[in-house]
Order: sequence, then C-alpha cells, then structure tokens
Amino acid sequence: MNITLVKKIKSDGNLCRKSADVFEKLKQANLVEKIDHIIFADERKKTSEGLSLALQHGIKTAPFFIVNKEDGSTEAYTRYCNFLEEVLEEKTSEQESVLEILAQNPDLDFI
Amino acid sequence: MTESTITTHDFNVAQLQAEYSQKSPQQILKFALDKFENLAISFSGAEDVVLIDMASRLTKNFKVFSIDTGRLHPETYQLLDCVRNHYEIDVEILFPDAAQVEELVKTKGLFSFYKDGHKECCAIRKVIPLRRKLNTLDAWVTGQRKDQNPDTRAHIPVVQVDTAFSNGDRQLIKFNPLANWTSSQVWGYIRAMEVPYNKLHEKGFVSIGCEPCTRSVLPNQQEREGRWWWENAQEKECGFHEVNMNSNHQR
Repeated sequence: MNITLVKKIKSDGNLCRKSADVFEKLKQANLVEKIDHIIFADERKKTSEGLSLALQHGIKTAPFFIVNKEDGSTEAYTRYCNFLEEVLEEKTSEQESVLEILAQNPDLDFI
Repeated sequence: MTESTITTHDFNVAQLQAEYSQKSPQQILKFALDKFENLAISFSGAEDVVLIDMASRLTKNFKVFSIDTGRLHPETYQLLDCVRNHYEIDVEILFPDAAQVEELVKTKGLFSFYKDGHKECCAIRKVIPLRRKLNTLDAWVTGQRKDQNPDTRAHIPVVQVDTAFSNGDRQLIKFNPLANWTSSQVWGYIRAMEVPYNKLHEKGFVSIGCEPCTRSVLPNQQEREGRWWWENAQEKECGFHEVNMNSNHQR
C-alpha cells in the first residue's frame, strides 16, 4: 500500500487551514510516518501535481489522500475520519466523524 | 423484498437522475416507494409535510421519521402529533444520545452555539441520530429544494448517491422529490390539498429548525437568513477554485 497526502496551497501562498489541521492531527497521533508522499495542490500553479491528482480523481476539497493498494486499485479519501478508519484502521470518535460530514456537506444543516 | 424492489447495487443513479429530473415530485416519490422496500421519509416538521401527504395518496405502506433535538418549538411538536393523527401513520421520533447531550451541556452550557458555532450542537442533537437511522436504510427521502439556499442547494438532484452517509460497505440512495419545486409551488400544494402545516409559518417563519437557532424573516429575505443568523460564511470547505471536477469517486 502506498499513501499520498495532498495538501492545498491557497492563491495567497499560504497553506489552507484544513490541510494544516489534518497534518497536525496526523502528527499528534504519530501517524505521519504512515504517509509515503506529501504533495501540494498549489492554486497558483494549475499544473501542480496535487491539482492534477484532484482533477484525475474528481476531488473538490483539500486535503485528501490517494491510496494505491496491493491489488492495483486506487482509492481517494477526502474525509480524514474515513481514511483513518478504513486505511489505517484507527478509531475515531462518532462526534469527530459527524462534524467532518457536516463540514463537507453544508446542505445537511437544514435537514 | 418484493419482486419489484431493487438493491442499491443495480441502481444507476446517473441514468435515473436524467430520466426523472423533470418529473413531478409525485412521480419521483412513487418510483422511490415502489423500488425501495427499506426506505423512509425524513420529516423536519416544516414544509416537507407535503411529502407525507403525497406518499399517503400513493400507498399506505410508507415510513416516516423525524428528529427531536430537544430544542424544537412547541408548534413543531404540535405538528408532529397532528401529522400522526391526520394521516394515521406512525412517525418514528429519533432522539440524541442522552450522554452526549449531557456532556455538551455540562461543559458548555445550553447556548454554546451562539459562541462556538452551531455545528457541534447540530452534530450531537441532529446528525448523529440521523446517521444511526440512515445506517439501517437503503434509501431515504428528503424535502430539500434548490430554492432554499442558492449557496448550498442550487444543484441538488432529484436522486443521488448519498455520499455523506454511504460507507465502504453500503451505498445509500437519497431522493429529493421537491428539488425543482419552488416555495410557491409547495405552498400552492399545501393550500390546495389542505395539508396540515406548522403554525410558525403564520408568524413569518420560513425555514424551521431548533427554537434558539430559528427566527422569522422579512418579506423577500432569503429563507435561510432565518437560521444561524449570528454566524457568517467563514466556515467554508477548502475547495479548489481552479479545477473543474466531474466525479464522485471520493469517500
């Protein structure tokens, strides 16, 4: 298995807040070493490797993870909690997982 | 499962969206009810009551659930009971986990959302119970409409894979039969069919949620301005602005 983390650099040159948050969580959980590659989706550079990967996988938000599995398949994860549970087999709290769903699906506010 | 039902695995969402995008809410609802045995209608206690009325005219065999966050208006509770009696149906009421609510209130008080934002409270009181319910279903029906919020709902389809609540093991289908209807059409239906409605609508409320987080709006104000008005739009997802996407592979 090969894991790539894609972080976003905003058009002002700063790292996006969510990319920074997710990386900090990985560090605090001592999981950074499980990430094989870290690349950037740089909004200032349309040809950046990360933006190309986002386009290739139809991904609309950052950060995200691309997981190349032993069977040759590739899976993209935009939800950190899903990635933790399904790929790294780490537990996440129900509340953390739902907050992430809410953040990524603003229309859910109004159900 | 009846002979006509299908599983989510052989459900071609893109094809059905193309086929049903211009059909009436009743046609979309009929398809959903016919094809999915394990399906339920989500009822918020507001205008989505029209879905229950439409379903009741199609079949006696449909399920409805609603979430009691513990902070609803008395008028909403009255409507829940009114609907139960009027249509002679069971409305399954979902409740938040008591321990999670107790912990939130103990650490942050009863109105933390005014200071910390509404999402933490919504997660505990609304979305966690919703997710538990949806984990038991193959499909659900919502009253979401495009005209409710130009920012977050402008492109909602009449049928979609619910990527928020599907997981690696199961695919959840979400029907939005009212997606293309306007508020005016919904209210035309409510009046024409004499559908029971939430009395808060008579007081200027349009979008109705929990009592502390809902207020009436002025004429021609966007209806979502009646919810979480103290927050601004800073909590946007970190989306890509330069790339054009057209896929839903991500999980």
